[in-house]
Amino acid sequence: MSGLEDIFRLLFTANLWQATLAAAVLLLLPALGGVISERSGVVNIAMEGMMLTGAFFAVVADLAWHNAWLATGVAVLAGALMATIHAVVSIQFRADQIVSGIAINIFAAGLTVFLANRIYGLQDVGHVGPTEGLPNIDVGGLDQIPFFGKVLFQQNVVVYMALVLLVLVHVVLFRTRLGLRIRAVGEHPQAADTAGINVYLFRYSAVITSGLLSGLAGAFLAIGVSNTFVPNMTDGRGYIALAAMIFGKWTPLGAFIACLIFGLGQAIYDNNSVIHVSPYLLSMLPYILTLVVLAGLVGRATPPAADGLPYVPGSE
Amino acid sequence: MPFGSVVFAFAVGALIVGATGANPFSAYAGLLCGGLGIGCTQGENPALEISNTIVFAIPLITTGVAVALPFRAGLFNIGAEGQLLVGSMACTAIGIKFNTLPSPILLPMVLLGGMAAGAVWAGIPGVLKATVGAHEVVTTIMLNYIAQWLLRFLIIGGPLQLGPGTSKSLPIGEGAHLATVLPVDNALIIFGLPASVYRVHTGLLIALAAAALFAFLLWRTSFGYEIRAVGQSQKAARYAGVSVRRTIILTMLIAGAFSGLAGAVQIAGVDHNLTDKYFTDTTGFDAIAVALLGLGSAVGIVLAAVLFGALHAGGAIMQSDAGISSNLVLVLQALILFSIAANFVGAIRRGLPLGRAPAALPPELPPAAGLMSEATAPPPEPT
Repeated sequence: MSGLEDIFRLLFTANLWQATLAAAVLLLLPALGGVISERSGVVNIAMEGMMLTGAFFAVVADLAWHNAWLATGVAVLAGALMATIHAVVSIQFRADQIVSGIAINIFAAGLTVFLANRIYGLQDVGHVGPTEGLPNIDVGGLDQIPFFGKVLFQQNVVVYMALVLLVLVHVVLFRTRLGLRIRAVGEHPQAADTAGINVYLFRYSAVITSGLLSGLAGAFLAIGVSNTFVPNMTDGRGYIALAAMIFGKWTPLGAFIACLIFGLGQAIYDNNSVIHVSPYLLSMLPYILTLVVLAGLVGRATPPAADGLPYVPGSE
Repeated sequence: MPFGSVVFAFAVGALIVGATGANPFSAYAGLLCGGLGIGCTQGENPALEISNTIVFAIPLITTGVAVALPFRAGLFNIGAEGQLLVGSMACTAIGIKFNTLPSPILLPMVLLGGMAAGAVWAGIPGVLKATVGAHEVVTTIMLNYIAQWLLRFLIIGGPLQLGPGTSKSLPIGEGAHLATVLPVDNALIIFGLPASVYRVHTGLLIALAAAALFAFLLWRTSFGYEIRAVGQSQKAARYAGVSVRRTIILTMLIAGAFSGLAGAVQIAGVDHNLTDKYFTDTTGFDAIAVALLGLGSAVGIVLAAVLFGALHAGGAIMQSDAGISSNLVLVLQALILFSIAANFVGAIRRGLPLGRAPAALPPELPPAAGLMSEATAPPPEPT
């Protein structure tokens, strides 16, 4: 099995782990969004669409203003706007949250290409200049540590932001009153309402936060990892993030571990020139692993009790 | 059919088109010409446009059934796309492997092979739901992606690849072809064009039969009663002596067979080989809109499939005639979904009583309670 040998050799290169962390962060941001949204009781399969929208508007804004941070801000807002649609439809109108999520994803896929054609004509969207993307930052001193320096301290600025956000989301969800309330709304909204918690407010905020995070991931993808927008460039990453969320049993740290596993698969896939296993078969792994988890072979994946249930005040 | 939702979608779509400085009327004129052959200005042949719409509608009918049937049992099959893809892969593999067999043997083989593959692909989520309570929405999403990567593997460097450097499969044997409705004859002129340009194939009859079978199964058989009973209330169904597990698994198997059939018919009737076009196929997702818009009835599904077929066929003409991206069709489709799911039309009619509307689910949807909260507890089975 020369293919396995090649993968084994690849596992000892810092380049691979550097790419793994970057790929993992691309999944981690929408996965964190999913965790927050579903912990508050709103099923969110719309990360794919929110991320794609963010990616598109990041490129549009960057091409217009030549400022990566401004572009990132626009992307984050665009993601939040899509999330707001999901929130209004599923919280206010109590629509089926899965149908709404599917609609968001279809809407984003269609709208981004439609707008690209309106803005740039039928040719390709332009490329963002090399100095106008989100920068890679080498952390002075630490980046010279053998192996780990390259993996941990020679990364895109969004990677550092994401790791901070990971800790923040974990602490807020499980160590603060705010987090307790978010989880209460997702587990038993009636009880939370009785305790004086505004269920709608918490759910709206949680869903919109998932849009902010997915929009940031979109910006990272479009003007950090890549330097342009192509139709459907998220390529299922929002759904892998959904898988990571379930794999991680609706916890931030669990989702991060799943993202690392899936990111490793992506990094090996991107190195497909040195391996001899079909990259297409490797790409199935995240999905197969998630099925295995769902099948209960690796413990049980339990969603929040009121996940997917619209809250009707006064109902039991 | 909830016409209000369609009208709502087109109205909002017009606003979006107008907001970008384009003319919504010329956009919709293009859709109308390409979809229904009405009001064409660039010399398009109306008969050909209608023929194209029907070709698009055929797989939408069959996959629409594959989404609508599980809906009745309270199951949300988002996996029609993956089931369709494995159906097309099985059809192609069999059609290549046995390409010398005559049609009376090979054609049933490829169609049944596609059905079997689709049934397996939907059976996995069915079994997982019935045994460990794994939520079918998530498992079918995962299986969609596994099917997509399997397709890439098979036709890029894999066993079905036509040749190095290509991203398509070998062609299936002649015996596996579904005949077109009109003879393939360049001398025969129909509506001003040679008969061979009309691609409507006999898969249309298969799709209509699938819709009829759906209605018969659901309303005229005891199994259909069991499906509806499980969809209404698993608890009550169990008291009535219905095996909930068996019903869930069987429903998914049948749904998968329908989707797999749609994929096989698409290969046998239209494409005759797998191509990279299938990487971006969305039939199985469109089917969700078809099932919702068709309100889960056979006639409704056929009508909704024709609507979405017309939108797809019309999108190409809209792009060439009006210069508006065919992706506007996806925007319209999403708006239709939002509108049905949220029942915007009903809310507008009631004067937007926000936050007071009853749970706005169309009648064929399972209560949202069944969607995530039951995901873990396997239904206890009375013995």
